[in-house]
Amino acid sequence: MKRIKILKPVLVSNQQRAKENRSVFDKMNSLVINIIASPGAGKTSFIKNIVEHFKRRYSILVIEGDIKGQIDSQSISKLGVDVLQINTATECHLDAYMTAQVLPQIKKKHDLILVENVGNLVCPAEFEIGEDYKLAILSTPEGDDKPMKYPLLFHLAKVVVINKLDLLPYLDFNLQDAKRGIKRENPKAIIFEVSAKTGNGFVEIFRHLEKEVNAKKKKNTD
Amino acid sequence: MHEYSVTKALVDLCNKEAEQNNIKRICKIHLKVGKFTGFSPDSIEFYFEHLKSNTKCSSATIVFEEVPIKITCHECGKQNEIDEPILLCPDCGSEKIDLLSGREFFVASIEGEES
Repeated sequence: MKRIKILKPVLVSNQQRAKENRSVFDKMNSLVINIIASPGAGKTSFIKNIVEHFKRRYSILVIEGDIKGQIDSQSISKLGVDVLQINTATECHLDAYMTAQVLPQIKKKHDLILVENVGNLVCPAEFEIGEDYKLAILSTPEGDDKPMKYPLLFHLAKVVVINKLDLLPYLDFNLQDAKRGIKRENPKAIIFEVSAKTGNGFVEIFRHLEKEVNAKKKKNTD
Repeated sequence: MHEYSVTKALVDLCNKEAEQNNIKRICKIHLKVGKFTGFSPDSIEFYFEHLKSNTKCSSATIVFEEVPIKITCHECGKQNEIDEPILLCPDCGSEKIDLLSGREFFVASIEGEES
């Protein structure tokens, strides 16, 4: 009997592929955001607000990850930006390999690439795709306890967006508790409070994104 | 659900390592799983039983070694092991902490018969 030390992460090949994806994105100077949330949290509406605001200034690509269908990619392409669809079939998340498969379809440089991951608070957090950072969306109907119940995503997300604030009067959602929960998992989290339906709160997000897009460009020209 | 692809990656990694190290049949896989990961040993075992057939892992078992969540505090300097991933210092309540362990998910070693 022989015992061999391995000491290799199980997801070593995904991490390696994610690194390769990242270098492709870096060469194109694209800021890549991996958007993760539950089904129905408002990921697509959130993306639409950003696309509408920036589409005349920035070249934007949206990558849609869904188990099946093209509902979201069709509705986003109506806004006049480039969209790529990844159907994951049985998988509950995007991974670096699935992302790599659509890279050859990117025909020009984009300032901003928004990746809408499969609706799920658990699995997508574990799989890097080559993003610059993760953005988590928590919507008020889901409850203010979700950061405590699904800690990993909130720990890893640089930005957390609390969405559907317009529904607050009808819910038992405690905004302070939600923010406390997020900060417990991730003291450095940048938190935004918005309603993707009314557009409230997006001014701060636009400012944040502008800063991030510029920083990415500067980083690669330095 | 994501344990399927994770277990597939585990089997692939072990087969590759066995190949490179002249092991014809793996008996044990020592797998370190941090408490602050989203991976469930039960689900990994469930998928492993299906995915291992016709590979060098076909008669292998997984030995799970749980890695605790450890943090160190920048304010009071103390190190603590915590049960839940609430990233606050249990001694002084500070948020200025570093995660020392708990995010591990790697194959520590494999045991098997040489070719």
